[in-house]
Amino acid sequence: MQRVWVVVLSVWAMLAIVAVLAWSSRPSQPLPAASAQTVIVKGHGGKQRLVVLKAPAHATTATSAAVHG
Amino acid sequence: MTALHRTEWRAVGTTCAAAVTAGQEDEREVAWALAAAQEEVAACERELSRFDPTSDLSRLNDADGRWVYVGSRLLEALCLALRAREETGGRFDPTVLPALAAAGYDRSFELLEERPAEEANGWRAGTAVELDERHGRARLEAGSAVDLGGIGKGYAAGRALAAMRAAAPTAGGGLVDLGGDIAVSGESPEGGPWLIAVADPRRVGETLAVLALEGGGVATSGRNARRFGPALSLHHLIDPETGESALGGPLTVTVAAPDPVAAEVNATTLAIAGPGEAADYVAARPHLSALYVPHAGPAIPLGRLPLVTERLVVRAAA
Repeated sequence: MQRVWVVVLSVWAMLAIVAVLAWSSRPSQPLPAASAQTVIVKGHGGKQRLVVLKAPAHATTATSAAVHG
Repeated sequence: MTALHRTEWRAVGTTCAAAVTAGQEDEREVAWALAAAQEEVAACERELSRFDPTSDLSRLNDADGRWVYVGSRLLEALCLALRAREETGGRFDPTVLPALAAAGYDRSFELLEERPAEEANGWRAGTAVELDERHGRARLEAGSAVDLGGIGKGYAAGRALAAMRAAAPTAGGGLVDLGGDIAVSGESPEGGPWLIAVADPRRVGETLAVLALEGGGVATSGRNARRFGPALSLHHLIDPETGESALGGPLTVTVAAPDPVAAEVNATTLAIAGPGEAADYVAARPHLSALYVPHAGPAIPLGRLPLVTERLVVRAAA
């Protein structure tokens, strides 16, 4: 009978540990869904019109302000 | 559901970012991939930085003509840089460091002090760099020194992207951005190409164009940042023909190429070229495209630039 109680308590202890771990290590949150971006596009003769991109850019290229190797 | 998992950190003297397209259930693989990218960039910096006196490159530059055992990344980067010197007819030259230091750019940019430029005594372009890949060592001509500033970030971005792919083989795509030197592969989280904004060098915070990249790299070089010397009259773009800060060339130029090394090398090369020379250069290399931004007047697209819109974006609205 004592062995049964040991097994039952061990199982409950293990479940408790798993629950604590699952609660404490939350999955990393992906970035929220990106909203559309409106850009003004210059056509021939300087005429401007609006263009809606489905998503904003994922990164920006520019001259870096400082450089190493 | 597929989403963009992204991390940012400081390295190679700038802000870096890595991003992976993956499902929520791939959490562990995503974490490995992003960590792998950061570790690879750190490993490249340990070998390639000229501002770290303990780096492999610094040991090579200080060796006064002797053979030096170096890491595989530096050996490969030197090999690529020498190939680029050959392919650009010397317009890209990794051995301009003595001229760059004489101009005043002799330490990390944020530590520069104002002083007049000096003559780069005895410096000449195209000095010898010998590579012994079998034994993992390199040797510079005595008095010569190498700067990998025009290739190093593109090289590191490509390697970091490869490390991410190896760590997360089931991920849909990846992006590595090292201060504007960008490498992409696979699909964006929206399922199509990666959208890369080109910053407007004349209007801080605004976008000049948006490029759609399905793979490869994009890089921007120019003289709108990192100016130094008396009245900020000097910049880091050395013309190998004169050994001085280049006089001609655009405000900035952005290059898209099949790989990030080609993008950075050719951006560096075109950053000292006039508009006509740049147009001829890109026309002779169909794998390249560029956005050439002169000091005044409209930006000039060169080659088959993968613009999202059919005309250049002149202003981005929130």
